[in-house]
Formats: sequence, structure tokens, C-alpha cells
Amino acid sequence: MTTRPYSAKRRLRRYPWILEAILILLAAVVFVPVYYLIVTTFKSPEEAALHPLSLPAGLDFGNYAAAWEAMVYPRVLANTAIVTIASVIGIVVFSAMAAYGLARRSHTLHRAIFYLFLAGLMVPFQMGLVSLYKLINALGLMDSLLAVIFVNIGSGCTIAIFLFHSFIQSSVPLELEESAFMDGCSVPKTFWLIAFPLLKPVIATVAIVSTLNVWNDFMNPLLFLQSREHNVILLEVFRNIGQFSVDWTSLFPMLMLGVAPLMAFYLFMQKYMIKGVAAGALKG
Amino acid sequence: MRKASITLFVVLMAISMALAGCSGNNGSNLPNGGEGSEKETAEKVKVRLAYWNKEDSVKTLLALIAKKLPDIEVEYQFIDNKQYDNIIATQLAAGSGPDIVSVSPSASTKYAKLGYLQDISALADRYNDAGKNVYSADGKLYAIPGISWFEGIFYNVDIFDQYGLKPPSTFAEELALHKALKDKGIKPQAMGAKSWEPMMKSSMGYVMNEFLAKPENKDFDVQFGQGAKKLADSWVPAVEQWSALIQDGYLNEEMLGIDYDQALDEFATGKAAMWESGPWAMEAIKKKNPNIKVNMFPFYGSQPGPGWLIGGPGVGFAANSKSAHPEAVMKVLDLISTPEGQQAFWNDNKGGSSYLKGVEFEMPAEYEGVKETFKAGNVYAPWNNWGDNAQSLIEEYGKRLQEVLGGSSSVGDALKGTDEKRAELSDLGS
Amino acid sequence: MNQRTWKRELNYSLFIAPALLFYVLFSVYPFLSMFYYSVTDYTVRKITNLSFVGLDNYKHLFGSDLLRTGLKNSILYAVLMTVFQTSLGLVLAVFLDRKLATRNLLRSVFFMPAVFSPLIVGFLWGYLMSTSDYGLINQGLEALGLGKINFLGDKDIALYSIVFTQLWQWTGWAMVIFLANLQSIPKDLYEAADIDGASGWKQFWRVTLPLMQPSVNVVAVTAMIGGLKVFDIILALTDGGPGNATQTIMTAYIKTSFNEGFYNRGAAFGVVFFGIVMAITLIMMRYLSKWGEKIR
Repeated sequence: MTTRPYSAKRRLRRYPWILEAILILLAAVVFVPVYYLIVTTFKSPEEAALHPLSLPAGLDFGNYAAAWEAMVYPRVLANTAIVTIASVIGIVVFSAMAAYGLARRSHTLHRAIFYLFLAGLMVPFQMGLVSLYKLINALGLMDSLLAVIFVNIGSGCTIAIFLFHSFIQSSVPLELEESAFMDGCSVPKTFWLIAFPLLKPVIATVAIVSTLNVWNDFMNPLLFLQSREHNVILLEVFRNIGQFSVDWTSLFPMLMLGVAPLMAFYLFMQKYMIKGVAAGALKG
Repeated sequence: MRKASITLFVVLMAISMALAGCSGNNGSNLPNGGEGSEKETAEKVKVRLAYWNKEDSVKTLLALIAKKLPDIEVEYQFIDNKQYDNIIATQLAAGSGPDIVSVSPSASTKYAKLGYLQDISALADRYNDAGKNVYSADGKLYAIPGISWFEGIFYNVDIFDQYGLKPPSTFAEELALHKALKDKGIKPQAMGAKSWEPMMKSSMGYVMNEFLAKPENKDFDVQFGQGAKKLADSWVPAVEQWSALIQDGYLNEEMLGIDYDQALDEFATGKAAMWESGPWAMEAIKKKNPNIKVNMFPFYGSQPGPGWLIGGPGVGFAANSKSAHPEAVMKVLDLISTPEGQQAFWNDNKGGSSYLKGVEFEMPAEYEGVKETFKAGNVYAPWNNWGDNAQSLIEEYGKRLQEVLGGSSSVGDALKGTDEKRAELSDLGS
Repeated sequence: MNQRTWKRELNYSLFIAPALLFYVLFSVYPFLSMFYYSVTDYTVRKITNLSFVGLDNYKHLFGSDLLRTGLKNSILYAVLMTVFQTSLGLVLAVFLDRKLATRNLLRSVFFMPAVFSPLIVGFLWGYLMSTSDYGLINQGLEALGLGKINFLGDKDIALYSIVFTQLWQWTGWAMVIFLANLQSIPKDLYEAADIDGASGWKQFWRVTLPLMQPSVNVVAVTAMIGGLKVFDIILALTDGGPGNATQTIMTAYIKTSFNEGFYNRGAAFGVVFFGIVMAITLIMMRYLSKWGEKIR
């Protein structure tokens, strides 16, 4: 009765060397493909074919320079950034607004609209591609970044509304807002000044989910962006592959240049996300 | 860290409010659509060309166009082969699409029937029949035939010399060659059978020798496309004989896990002695192994002869009938249809030949071994005569052969399955 | 209702409007048009003047091997992903919630694969899993004296190999969500359990897991839905092959609609599929929320 809890406690507090060693080993295995991707970017085609896993003979950034030039990297990066930032902002703002409106009203109509959004989670929206294409064409948006942004917002808002909605219902207190109304604040003012700042943690989650999706989306840009000056990163990577490509050493630097900003973004957001989501984004 | 993140979100919020036009007292305005498409401002006319090969494969040609037609800017759009047909069909159906459309023979017939393509018969006289027939419908030309493509079997000359081996002249010799190499511990043939294409081509190479080359089967491919003939009634013996390559283990299940790229690697680095492919691979092979010596032999049947290569007119360039710049498009096509244009095109597709009348190019040394085959005119791709659904049919056929290689199906079933797919696809209408 | 209440109601509606507009225009409308196409003769050869053909396209689905394979693979894939992504992610999260010296580094490494596009993952793993002499995993197996495994070319294991690559990619993602949830669990609950003498294992079952229900919910449901809709990684790794062994509903849809040109039959595919995903998701959500009630 008196000794057992102590021993259990002590066992827990002992530093878990073995566990850490196993985890490090596992992480090393998980890292191998990424390592392979990275070392290949510094090799010549011959070296890559003969010694795929060895460290490169030297840190030759020539492959990167070539990739940078072939992709017209500054331009595609700017396009990708515009599409991603605008889409993510659109998704975050519109979804937060809609989720707020839906969470604070409970007419049958509102509930129906909420379920309509929920259903969107389950719809493989790629299936509507033919009509979507015709629509974009009819709207005169073909070959403009706006087309991709709009489609991203249309498809990305469902999961975002789902997350915002459950968060607002569980963790944004109504009392504050009511007293604001009493003071004569309008609905939009109440939302922007009181509710929206409280949504920060879930905004982080939505922003990360949407950024990953939009950045790595390939189908929409492929369909709706046609001229080269509007290309995004993945399109440019693809354009350099061709039907019969084998030149890994020039392809991989492009892939690296394609994900580098995303990795930086994640490293920047990581801490915040884990902390932020902890604040209760997952209640519901 | 925390502070930085908060700052980020404040900035984000400010931008987003500006974007949405949200002020304190109204909900939001939508950014208005319709302002997106920028029309060209410069005096240069922009003409978009979509193609499924890397820009590298036409770079000399594009440079020539830029030089000769200074008032036209050709915008090259690469679309991967896997998506190409989807995207182009969707774009054309919506009344847009590239100004110059790269087409395969079957796609050109398909799109021509739907009215997507401009009649360019004005250029027809410059090309010889072999090239223009596949791109014509109802006597009108809808695409100019590009530099031809072909595939045969590459072999590593050094390995052959080292073991005193000679390229075969019949299929039986080819099997013996495989055996000899295997006995020496060398992988006889590399194949990227993860794709459905190489087995499809390899087997058809044999069928062309054994079946299609016979005069009585001259019209078989057309009849098959129309549903009058069946593969299961005609090709079984030939494909079964070809499948000795599978039975003897020279093509094996392991190859279903190998890509085109990896097969090329195996061949280029000397791990495999032979590889079925075509001229476009040469540059990559030499890059991987600058010292390799390569030659090619054609597909053989049971009897000796010049053999056959699989191939045909390359890409066709067609004019979109909805193009906003029909004159500019015609100027470009006209330039390609000159000896100078063909030379520039050939420059990045060495090994192929031109269909422009009176234009001939010298064959690079790597293709010495198939000279006789070319002389005999034995270059053919059966599906070019299979009609509109050819692309789906060869995919079905190739995928069925993968099942044969995987051991879960027989040659007879594979051919029957392809026949069934042909019947199913006829529901599409014509 | 006075004017002020009216204005408030209007304001709430205006809040919903932008998202609804984008959603209806760019997702709902294109999708709904599929219901229409699924009862017409819309194919690549017949694009205008469509006529009504009743349920013909649906009848075609029943005899279709492709649909059966696709359905089987999609469900198998989704179930495997849901089970393993959730359980492995949970294990990683629990371990990496402890105070390890390399904790932050490990978290980053496990999450890192999530930033890659399916395109890149396809290249990488296609190469690693190849049976050619350059397939790195098989080189390793052979060096260990084991036989080669035909990861992507053997029809009986190709789908599992794809699941493996996707677990590589997405387990870290699940881990991050679980980690977030773990930090919201008050530490005094563990102290109470400590005093009760519960072992680490028991603590996990009694204290941790019940409180993890919200995140398990999110991860499991999104893994299931995402799994049922999977297509890009399949196209990148096997293109549905060998033969049609790894076709999923979505790749079968793409093949039928775009490669072959049967937009109408593809649309019927989509409609049936939508029903299936909806049913599975609803059943699962109900089950998960019951679990939530039970353990609270």
C-alpha cells in the first residue's frame, strides 16, 4: 500500500534511454528517403546511379543553380506564394465568418447549411471536374491565378468550417459577445473584435492544413493555369520531367526547391501549432 | 516565438480584412471574378502550343520559330503524358485549349470529328502519304506529321563483344541469345514492366512479323478497330509464341516492379545487355554512361528477314479551330513544314525521319543495326489503325499482359479481355 | 421583430454568404452536375444535345470488374490507413510527449514527410521500392541474405506497399494532432492516477485515451474520408497496376471518365461512391460519438 505507488512513480520518472534510442532509430529510418532526396541533389548523374546512398563527393550547388534557372524559380515561387497566401487567407476568413454565423444561429436553415458544408467533406470534388472547367471558362477566369484561388477556397472551406464550428461552440463564450451587443456593438464588430482573436489556435491548424493542401495541389493549377508566366512550382517541376525522364540529379533539386519554403513554414509554425491546438481546437 | 506568431496573425488578419473588404459595419464583399484574364498587351501575337514531351525535345524548332517569325511568340505548355488527353479533351470541349494542339493519330481523328480542329489541307501536298494518311479524315488533313518515332531493341555492344555474341536474325536466335547471357550471369533484357507499354510493344513486334505482315492480314487492324475481327481469333498463336520470353523467365514478375527510368539505368550501367526502347532515350543513356557503345536490332519473327520496328509518324501538330489567332498558327505550321523546320525538329529527335517530301536525314551510328529494316519500310504501329479508341485499347492490352506476366491470366484471356474492352468502348458512339 | 434584431439576423446571414457562395459555385454545383450527367449519354463523342438514358449507366456499374476492384481496394486502403495512422500516431505522440532530450528534433523528423506532395513521394518510393538492381530496399534485403520483395509489382502486396508509404507520410501528422490534444490533459489527473498506483499502461487506458477522444475523432474520420478518396499517390506509385490490381474508386473513375471518355458512366460511379462514403462516414461518426459518451 505504501511502497508500490512509489516504485511505480520512480519507474516513470527514470530517464527512458531505451525508448529514446528506439525512437531515434525509427526517426533515422523515416528520414532515409528524405536523406536520399537531399544527397542526390548534389551528385552527378553517374555518381547518383552508382552510389545512391553515399554522401556526395562534394557540395556542388550546380544542380540547384540549374534547377533555379530552369524553373524560373523566383517567378514560380511568387505565383505559388500568391496562390497559397490568398487561398489560405480566403479559407481562414470566410470559413471563420461562416462558422461563426452558423454556430450562433440555430434555425433549421442554418443547420441545413452546416450539413451541406459537412457533406462537402465526403465529396470527392475532383469528380465534378468537367463542369468546373466549363464554369471557370464561362467566368472568364481561365489562365488566371484567381481561378485556382477561388476553387481552392470553394473546396478548402468545408474542413475549415468543421473545425471552426466545433471550436466556437465549445470554447468561445457567448457572454462576452452578449455584453458587447448590450453596448451597441454590431455583429461584424463583435466578431472581429471579440470572437476572431479567440480563434487563434484553430486558425493555426486551419492555416497549416490549407497551406499543405494548396501548396501541393497539382490538379487545379494544371487545369486552370496555362501560360508559363502563371505557372506554380509543381507545374514547373512537371514540365521539366517530360514523358521519358530519368535525370534524377536535375529533378531532385527542383523537388527540394519546391518543398523548402513549406518546410520552413512548418518549422516556424510547429511550436505554435502544438501549443495552439492544445488550447482546445479539438474539443467537439 | 509566441510573439512572432501573434504578430503574424495580426498581419494576416489585417490583410484578410482588406481583401474581403470588411469594415466595422458591413458583412463582406466578394472579390469580383472576371478581371482575371489578362490579354496580351504587346504587339506580339501569343500562340500556345501544348505537348506531352519536354520542351527540350523541340527546343531547336522553337528557337527557329522565334528567329523566323519575330512577331509571333510561341508559348510552350508541357502537360504530362498521363494527363495530356484528359486535359486537352476537357479544354477543347469547353471551347478553349491551346492554339496548336499536339495530337496522336487517333486523337486527331477524334477531335477532327468533333470540329475542334482546323482543316489544314493547304499543307498536305508537302508531305508524303505515309505521314499524312494517319492525320487525315475524309480526305482532309488535320495535323502535320512530325518526325517519326520508332522502337527496337537496344543492345550493349561491349557486352556482346566480350562474350562473342551476335545480334539475332530470328526470334529463336533471340531466345538463344537470352539464354547465353543468362548463363553468363548477365541480365539479358531490362524492362520497365511497371508501365503497361513495353510488353505491349514487345509482343506486337512479334505479331507484326508473324501475322500482320502477311498480305491476307493487311486490313486486320482497321477491321479490328471496327469490330469486324477479334484479337482472340487471330493473335493467340503469335502472342503465345512470343510469351516464351515469359515462360523462360527472361521477362519475369520482378519486372512489374521496375519503372522505365530504372530499366534505363540497368541498361545504361551495363547490368542488363538489352533494352526495348527508342531514340529519345539515347541522351539519357549517354548521360548516365558516356562510354557505352549501343546498337539496335529490330523485332524478329520465326523466319529470318529484315524484321520490324514498332513506330510511325510522331506527334501531329494540329490547329485549334477556336484559336483567336488562326493566321499566326498557320504561319507556325507552315514554317515547320519546310526543310529548315524539319531539320530543326529533327535536331532534337535524331534517329527519326521526316515525312516532308524530299527531306532525308542521316541515321546516327547507334541505329546501324536497323538500317535494313528501314530500307524495307518495316516500321509500323498496329494501333495507329485501330480507330478513335486506340489509346484505351493498347492500355487495356498492356495491362492484361501485366496480368499474364504476374501469372494470374493467360494469353488467350488477355486477348479476349482486349476484345471485350473494344466492344465496350464502341458504346461511346462515333 | 424590431429593426435592430432584423439587422442582426441579416448580418449573421451575410457572414455565411461568402463561404457559401464559393462552396456552392466551385464545389457543389460541379458535383451536382454529375447527378445529371449520370443519367445522360454524355461521352467524349457526344458533348452537346444530351439525351436522357435513365439508369443505363448505373446498370453498367454492376457488372464492372473495375468498380468491384476499386471499391474493395478503396475500403481496404481506408480501413488500414485509419487503424494504423491512428494507433501508430497515438503511440508516437505518447512517447514524444515525454521529456526526451531529442524530443523536438524527433517530432520534426516524424512530421517532415507530410510536407511532400504525392508527386514527390511517388518518385522517392517508386525508386526505393523498385526491384531493379538499384532498388535501395531490395539491395538492403539482399545484402542481409533475404530475397527480393516485389513491393509495387506483386499484385498481392502492391496495395499494402502503398499504404506503407502513406503511413510513412501521414503518421507524423496524426502525431502532431495527438500531441496537441495530450497537452490539454491536466497533469493532476496523472498524479491522481499515480497515487492510485496505476501502472503507465493502465494510466494510458484509463486516463489518456478517454481524454484523447476529440483528436482520435478528427484523425480517424479524416483518415477514413481521405482514404476512401485516395488517388494521387496511386497514380504516382503504380498507376493502378500491375494490371488493375491497385485501382481505387477514384482512379477507376478517372480511367472511365477521362482516359476512356465515358463521362456518363464515370458520373454514375461518382454518385454511387458519394453514397458509400456518406454511409461509412456517418456510421463511423455515430460509433465514435457513442464511444465518446461511454468513456466520459
